[in-house]
Amino acid sequence: MRLIQLIAVEDPSQTHHWLFPETAEIIYGGISSLIIFAAIYKFGLPAAKKALNARTERIQKELDGASNALSQATQEASNIRAAIGDIAGERSRLVAEADQQAATMLTEGRARITAEVADLEARGDAEIAASRSRSSDELRGEISLLASQAAQRAVSASLNASAQQELIENFINSVGAAR
Amino acid sequence: MSESRIEGYARALVEIAEAEGNLAVVENELFRLARALEQSENLRSTLTDESIPAARRQAVVEALIGGTATNTTTQLVGLVIGAGRGRDLPAIVDKVVKRASSAQNKDLAEVRTAVALTPEQESRLAAALEKATGKKVNLKVVVDPSVLGGVVATVGDSVIDGSVRTRLDQVKSRL
Repeated sequence: MRLIQLIAVEDPSQTHHWLFPETAEIIYGGISSLIIFAAIYKFGLPAAKKALNARTERIQKELDGASNALSQATQEASNIRAAIGDIAGERSRLVAEADQQAATMLTEGRARITAEVADLEARGDAEIAASRSRSSDELRGEISLLASQAAQRAVSASLNASAQQELIENFINSVGAAR
Repeated sequence: MSESRIEGYARALVEIAEAEGNLAVVENELFRLARALEQSENLRSTLTDESIPAARRQAVVEALIGGTATNTTTQLVGLVIGAGRGRDLPAIVDKVVKRASSAQNKDLAEVRTAVALTPEQESRLAAALEKATGKKVNLKVVVDPSVLGGVVATVGDSVIDGSVRTRLDQVKSRL
């Protein structure tokens, strides 16, 4: 508020406004400013440019390095991805091959086991049949032996003198009548 | 003994019996003795035992058949036994019988029965066999208890089997 009052109050004793400089002062000040600007332009600007260029170059170098690093990292990542892809492919191939082998082994194993079971069953059947036949033959032989012994005993007991003579007479008669 | 030696002994016995004029009787007696020798292990071992002196074995023959057989038969058997050929006596006798049969133009008919045949049965059996085979036969009967009953007749290669033993064997094989 005070400052506004100062700016607004015009001092009638002054030849120019208290806020604005004298004309000469403006001229001198302007010339001095030009000199300073020229000096800055001549000496300060190249140094600033050089510093800026160096900074730009350093930043560019860092950017390039980062870009290279990014490129290498990308390449490395690509390689790793490729390697992972190869590993996955190899794993898939191995798994497929193992599956195929397992399927083949399973098929062959089933076929072999089926054949073995069939063979065992056939052998078992044959053994059972042979055992049955053997037992039957043995039983038949035993019965035959007992029956023949019994028949011989019965026949021997019945072969008295008259039976002997009858057999002889029958033989003589049958041979005599043969022709 | 070799076949030729057996043949030689047989030929000699036949010629001696023929010379004595009783071939039919001698070969019949020899046949019965040979079958008895086959069926008796003791008699066979005694007559073929080389450790027993020949004179002793001949004495056994004399004692065995001297009373029932002709002198010719006894002497011929004594000859074979004394020569140490007792083991081959059955084979020699078989040759003698075949030769004797051939000399009579007959075929040997060996008949095995469980019991002895009467002379009349032998005669009828010989006639029946001659009728059946169409050949004259020289009948030789062997009493063989293993026949059990009936008759087994062998004429040359033909066998007419009417024995109980064979019937039983057939029943056994059928069983």
